[in-house]
Amino acid sequence: MESWIRVLLLSAVLAALTGCASVRNWFHHGSAQNGAAADQSVDQNAPPPRVIEPEVARRQVKVPRIRSSNFELGADYGVLSIEDFGAHPSYGFTLAYHITEDFFFQGEWGRARGGQTSFETLSGIQLLTEAERRFTYYDVSLGYNFLPGEAFIGRGIAMTSAMYFLGGVGGTEFGGDTKFTVNFGAGYRIVPADWLALHITVQDHVFQSSLLGTTKLTNNLEARIGTTVFF
Amino acid sequence: MSRRARPGALASLLLLAALLAPAWCAARQYLQLFVTEPYLELHTGPGRGYPVFHVVPRDESIDVLFRRTDWFKVRTEHGVEGWASQKDMEKTILADGSQFHFNLGDRAGFTSHTFEAGIFAGAYGGASLVSGYASWSFNSQLALEGALGGFYGRFSNGYTGDIGLAHVLMPEKRWSPFLTLGIGEVYTEPKATLVVPANRNEPTAYVGGGIRFYLTRRFFLRAEYKAHWVFTKRNQNEEADEWKAGFAFFF
Repeated sequence: MESWIRVLLLSAVLAALTGCASVRNWFHHGSAQNGAAADQSVDQNAPPPRVIEPEVARRQVKVPRIRSSNFELGADYGVLSIEDFGAHPSYGFTLAYHITEDFFFQGEWGRARGGQTSFETLSGIQLLTEAERRFTYYDVSLGYNFLPGEAFIGRGIAMTSAMYFLGGVGGTEFGGDTKFTVNFGAGYRIVPADWLALHITVQDHVFQSSLLGTTKLTNNLEARIGTTVFF
Repeated sequence: MSRRARPGALASLLLLAALLAPAWCAARQYLQLFVTEPYLELHTGPGRGYPVFHVVPRDESIDVLFRRTDWFKVRTEHGVEGWASQKDMEKTILADGSQFHFNLGDRAGFTSHTFEAGIFAGAYGGASLVSGYASWSFNSQLALEGALGGFYGRFSNGYTGDIGLAHVLMPEKRWSPFLTLGIGEVYTEPKATLVVPANRNEPTAYVGGGIRFYLTRRFFLRAEYKAHWVFTKRNQNEEADEWKAGFAFFF
């Protein structure tokens, strides 16, 4: 019986102790803080309070590289009128680099096959061998875009477009010789997709020729359609 | 020849398209920017002449898809795609609050850069010349240069190749002169009606100078003169003057 009361009392003391421990701060809260404040004001040499480090990390933005799409590579097909040697199918390749919205550089390579002069047809005498009739030009040009606009197909499709001037220098292999060639022309570019363009170009390749006895400037006009991809 | 080459050309173009297609289709990570001005104008094409068809209001974000010259193709939160100019894009901010900046080239870059290249038209020993060059800079004043050219004359055609050093005087100026010194090779195909001399390959050395003029962004004009000595196997060496001018750009 005695031990039963002892257990009961001990349990009550234990409960009271833990309970008091948990509510201790209810009564001493204010005074404890005041005490701390008093301690701080008294102790001037104490280290400054620690700045709380934010747990949210600063957002680091990794800037992805912005892809550029300034080059334009393509193939074309058309007709080249070789002075005195007739108009014949031509084909070629172009590679352009767009410098600004207005200007671009363009490298061109093209080939056609010259026919017979009227003298050759009438007399039956061949002035050039078959290999010499191959007309190959390569040049670098500067292009200038103008008249930018849009072309529409029906109600739903709009494609940006522009005209451009071309002018440059290069070389032309024809008649067993390579001649310095000046080219100039104009074209129309239509862009159905960001990576695709269609071109219609008319270009004159001018060089000095003395194939037919006298030295003269020859104009070799070319009209071609082409398709290019931007990358 | 041309009949056989044409299907070949088509095939190579198709092959090129096939090779490039995966690159276009691949999922990409785009740069996200936020509009801070009252609005950002979107044009239908990459040029000031193309009309504005959409505006992105303040605080909305855009994804930068790619760039053509100084225009950026962007996509809005609502999926509208259009072209914004670099000038307008500089007024947007990144997700961390910092200003977006894209360096398209400036005078500082003209003064100090690593790589430059350009194309020229001119004259070489009385013949018409088309040439190109590339250069690698050690510092803002000294660069290693290589040039290739083709010349077309009345008496001969041929090719030239040079390698040498260029020293830029006053690289910080918009007009900056430079001096060049180097060696090279010239390949000549003489033209003659009766006796055709053999084509020849001869070493050369040159000294020269020129001037470059900064245009805009990464572009400048360059004009130069080179005095070439051609070391022939004949009794006398030859001299050839080269004058040329053209466009160049730097990276």
